[in-house]
Amino acid sequence: MLRAIGKRDRDIFEEVWPDKRRIVLKLLRQDTVSQREWQDLFFGVHFVCLWDEKGAAKIYDCLQQDIVEFIVQAQSQVQAQRGEQALLATYIVEWRKFFTQSNYLPLPFRQLEQSPQVKPSSSGSSSSASVSASGASTSAAAAAAASSCSGQAGKSGGSTSATAGASTSAAAAAASTSASTSSAAAAAAASGSGSTSSSTSTSKKNPTEDSPVRKLMLDSWNKHIFHDIKHRLQESAMKIVHAERNGDAYDAQLVVGVRESYVNLSSNAEDKLEIYRENFEMAYLKATAEFYRLKSAEQQQENGVLAYMKYADSKLREEEVRAKRYLEPSSFSILTYTLVKVLIVDHLNSIIAECPALIRDYETERLNLMFRLMDRVMHGVGVEAMMGDLQRHIMSAGLADMLSASEVITQDSEKYVERLLELFNKFSDLVRNAFNDDPRFLTARDIAFKTVVNDTSVFKMELPTSIANRGVKYTAPESKCPELLANYCDMLLRRTPLSKRLTSEQIDARLRDVLLVLKYVNNKDVFMRYHKVHLTRRLILGTSADSEKEEDIVEWLREVGMPADYVNRLARMFQDIKVSEDLNTQFRTSISRHDAINIKILNAGAWARCSERVSVSLPIELEDYIPDVEEFYKKKHSGRKLQWYHHMSNGTITFVNNFGRYDLDVTTFQMAVLFAWNQRQHDKISYENLRLATELPDPELRRTLWSLVAFPKIKKQILLMEPAAISSPKDFAENTMFYINQEFAIVKNGKSQRRGKLNLIGRLQLSTERSQQEDNQSIVQLRILRTQEAIIKIMKVRKRMNNAALQGELIDILKNMFLPSKKMIKEQLEWLIENKYMRRDDDDINMFIYVA
Amino acid sequence: MKVTIKSWTGVATWRWIANDENCGICRMSFESTCPECALPGDDCPLVWGVCSHCFHMHCIVKWLNLQPLNKQCPMCRQSWKFNVH
Repeated sequence: MLRAIGKRDRDIFEEVWPDKRRIVLKLLRQDTVSQREWQDLFFGVHFVCLWDEKGAAKIYDCLQQDIVEFIVQAQSQVQAQRGEQALLATYIVEWRKFFTQSNYLPLPFRQLEQSPQVKPSSSGSSSSASVSASGASTSAAAAAAASSCSGQAGKSGGSTSATAGASTSAAAAAASTSASTSSAAAAAAASGSGSTSSSTSTSKKNPTEDSPVRKLMLDSWNKHIFHDIKHRLQESAMKIVHAERNGDAYDAQLVVGVRESYVNLSSNAEDKLEIYRENFEMAYLKATAEFYRLKSAEQQQENGVLAYMKYADSKLREEEVRAKRYLEPSSFSILTYTLVKVLIVDHLNSIIAECPALIRDYETERLNLMFRLMDRVMHGVGVEAMMGDLQRHIMSAGLADMLSASEVITQDSEKYVERLLELFNKFSDLVRNAFNDDPRFLTARDIAFKTVVNDTSVFKMELPTSIANRGVKYTAPESKCPELLANYCDMLLRRTPLSKRLTSEQIDARLRDVLLVLKYVNNKDVFMRYHKVHLTRRLILGTSADSEKEEDIVEWLREVGMPADYVNRLARMFQDIKVSEDLNTQFRTSISRHDAINIKILNAGAWARCSERVSVSLPIELEDYIPDVEEFYKKKHSGRKLQWYHHMSNGTITFVNNFGRYDLDVTTFQMAVLFAWNQRQHDKISYENLRLATELPDPELRRTLWSLVAFPKIKKQILLMEPAAISSPKDFAENTMFYINQEFAIVKNGKSQRRGKLNLIGRLQLSTERSQQEDNQSIVQLRILRTQEAIIKIMKVRKRMNNAALQGELIDILKNMFLPSKKMIKEQLEWLIENKYMRRDDDDINMFIYVA
Repeated sequence: MKVTIKSWTGVATWRWIANDENCGICRMSFESTCPECALPGDDCPLVWGVCSHCFHMHCIVKWLNLQPLNKQCPMCRQSWKFNVH
């Protein structure tokens, strides 16, 4: 070697290279290269570059020729193969060999990319094969020359290469200058212009990967072999995939190998997958789509839509697994998209057409399958169609169910609520099992439930839409559901056969169910009204099954968003009862003989609206107590006066006759009537005289008497009348005679009992003779006030607001009480404008302005 | 036949015994509440002055707090003293 130093420059290459070239060829062929030869190669390259000023370019050209020659050989071997598998196999073998070499061979030639000497000679001799490659090394050299350490570039470059070669791993520790230079070179080459400046890319890469020699190798392979046979390769690979789809086993590694070559072949540093994507991926997608386009139509025709769904589902999964084998992760989403298009979207209508029948038959498994398929479709078109089907089905099935059972459920609130809950549970199960409780389907279910609950075709209550001020009564039918819910609540909370039958937990569960249904009810104010009336009865008669539960449900009502003032009123009622109890205790200790007297003092505002007071002449015994109570209360609370509500008062009397001794729970009115006979027990007393004796108003007296002559469900009535054939309290005449039934006895199992207890109160009348119509009118009246209040509340804050926005906010505020009708809102807006609470904008009739 | 009372539950509400219909301060009925309250009754009580004038407690307290020096009844301008019965 040292001898060579003395020679003239241009001979050095000829002197040294032939020897080194043999090592290069050995490396290419993957023949064994000894450590010494390997090191010699490093030295040789270094030596030529150092002593021959055009050495780098010469080596590069020579190397290129050798590589091309090698590739041409490989190509001829690959091309010689006829069979697809053999072709692929040979290609992959050749490629793997070459690719491995592309990692090692560049190592000794690192000098080329660094040496400034390459520049003039290589640009001059960029003769044949790859203009871009030599251009790359040119710019690489230029960049290196521009870098600060140009003087020592040769030496440091050489030593770096040597260590890298020894360790064979990529020498990541190479100077940053060299790294950035080489990546710049690669980028410049990628953009296709040989002479661009080095200012494109600064990303740090593995030095070996970006080496110009490696690039030269890959580009040559790409140009000389890959380009010619890539279509054959792809076709062969796709044929294998196709065969595999048809169930024939092939060597999957062949396809994987081809894919790898596509990926690794890319010398584009910016987009490593460019070649893969443009060729392999595209071919794969195309083949997949074509395969399933034929198959899916065939499957559907042969086995029907339901079986096809299964097929599509299994194929989707299968292809996902296959994709993991054959494709790069970046392709998964586009493949899925393609598959969904071919397998589902193209068959969307025929699949969706099956949905209603499946819902009808509760085919949860198939629905679940369909849902999974549809959920893959973009923009939720399929899911939306399914939601629509579900909603329609629940509505129609729910209403049909209610209608078919209408005779029972309109009469029996327990049956109604239980039927409703059964229905809800059935559909909730469906949504859970078939649609995994997907929020979209839950919404569809809720909308449908709302329709069922608020439907008025089975039963309705008539509410006048406006207070009949012009003598015209409009009625807007509303569902009776809230009323029945409240009744059901009452049955659970009162001491009834139902509440006795159930455990505390069961009652809790049912109350929760009621609240669940209540969520769907538009007019919650009706529920609240009835609930309060029932609660009033329970508290006054002391018939609550469990007072703790009573208070629990008040809190639950608060939790589900019932208006605070309403819930507070309920809480207040419990407070009143407790205060009254304390008061009773004090009263009894103050006057010992009154232990039979109980008083309940109510806050007028909190309780169910009581009607006007009714006068009644009390039995003498009671009449005596009253002043004592009033006096006692006056001492406790100065400035207050008691007002008796005798229509709510009640008591227990002992009724003794020849048969036995009976305790009867009666209202104060019933008590007053019965006491009329106390002094003349065998007399017949006329209606007229009873009125004089009791001082009850006519309607109350009629009702009270009727409850004593015709109390439902008892064998022997306590009072009898003459004539006996009167069928309604309206038919009592002034001279209708009433007398005590001396035969009265409590009958149980067909036997008269000597002792017993009987409740004659039935449903405590909270109101006097006000008709249901008037009751309902008060609901409407309250709604009107609430609406006005809410409008003012909104306008006070907003000052200016257009009609649509106002209606939106209004409904939002009122939704926990009732759903205001458009008509009512309009009427109340007009009323408020008329009364100068607000006005319309002069320019915009739909804009309202708050007037302070 | 004989009927005797074993027990009796009397139900009553109560109302204020005031010498006027409305509160002289807020002009609301004594049967309802002062403007700040929601529930009439115990939660919004009435109070009487020694001058025998009567107001919602919340109203008169607010009024008295607004008077810097002489705490007077707003109706008769006598010095205000609560009438504790």
